Amino acid sequence: MAYIAVNSTGNFVALRINADGVDYDSNVSAAFVAGNANVMTVPSLQEVTLNASPGTFRWQQLDNASELVVTTPSTNSVAVTLVMDDTTFFGNVGATPALVDIVNNKTKVYFRLGWQGLGTGDRYIQGKGYLTALAPTVAPTSPVWTTPITIEVDGEYTRGNV
Amino acid sequence: MAIRDTLLANLSVALASSNVSVSSELPFTAAGVALYDKNMKKFYLNVDENATTELFSTLDNNDVFQQEITLQGYLSVDAKNQPSDIDTVVGHVLNSRLSVANCYLRECSVTNEYVEDRNTYTFEFRFLTI
Repeated sequence: MAYIAVNSTGNFVALRINADGVDYDSNVSAAFVAGNANVMTVPSLQEVTLNASPGTFRWQQLDNASELVVTTPSTNSVAVTLVMDDTTFFGNVGATPALVDIVNNKTKVYFRLGWQGLGTGDRYIQGKGYLTALAPTVAPTSPVWTTPITIEVDGEYTRGNV
Repeated sequence: MAIRDTLLANLSVALASSNVSVSSELPFTAAGVALYDKNMKKFYLNVDENATTELFSTLDNNDVFQQEITLQGYLSVDAKNQPSDIDTVVGHVLNSRLSVANCYLRECSVTNEYVEDRNTYTFEFRFLTI
């Protein structure tokens, strides 16, 4: 049994996105090569939920006492909540636009989520998709802007090690 | 500038024409008697007490902290012959919390206690800032 703990500095969850306009569909890893100045690290994550839900289709037959099932295409998404950071929310990182602009312009993003950081050898899951569900909120008793963001994943996840 | 200074400056003006005065001395105890019990109809305010607590926890140590500042104020009056404007005075003290800027929460509550012939009002100020 090996827990995936994220409580030490080297093991912090890392979410990086690249929306520099280059087509990396055939090789998402190319969007995150070392030294790429267009990769934005999304800071101050509070919660991360990775969803991978294959659909199913069930039917009944008169010659079977139980339902039968086949799978249908998966719905994949990554949902995060974060404390809004002025730099990444309103500022570009290289050719990757600000988060608010990515949502506004419906720009395709390539993302890489490091389960325990993105240092050499660390595991990651990556893919492409669109940022949605932006809903910044603030209140008198919670006077710092926070927002959820969902990456609606286009296609499959791929996984690997840095 | 400590919040205590802001509150004292506000109260010095607000209570200038009342039956209660404002002391800049701390409410210390001498020979077992609190200063506000010894000098009735004089408002005393304790120093700022600070505490830092976490408002938002994040997964990368970019946590958001808030600072909580609390102060206690004291006012003793003769229980038998309270100043005629005591309600106004208490109102001014409660409202003095609004003179403190840059806080997203500004609270003040008051309780009173009778000891012998004295009625002691205790004010609890609470401020929250990022």
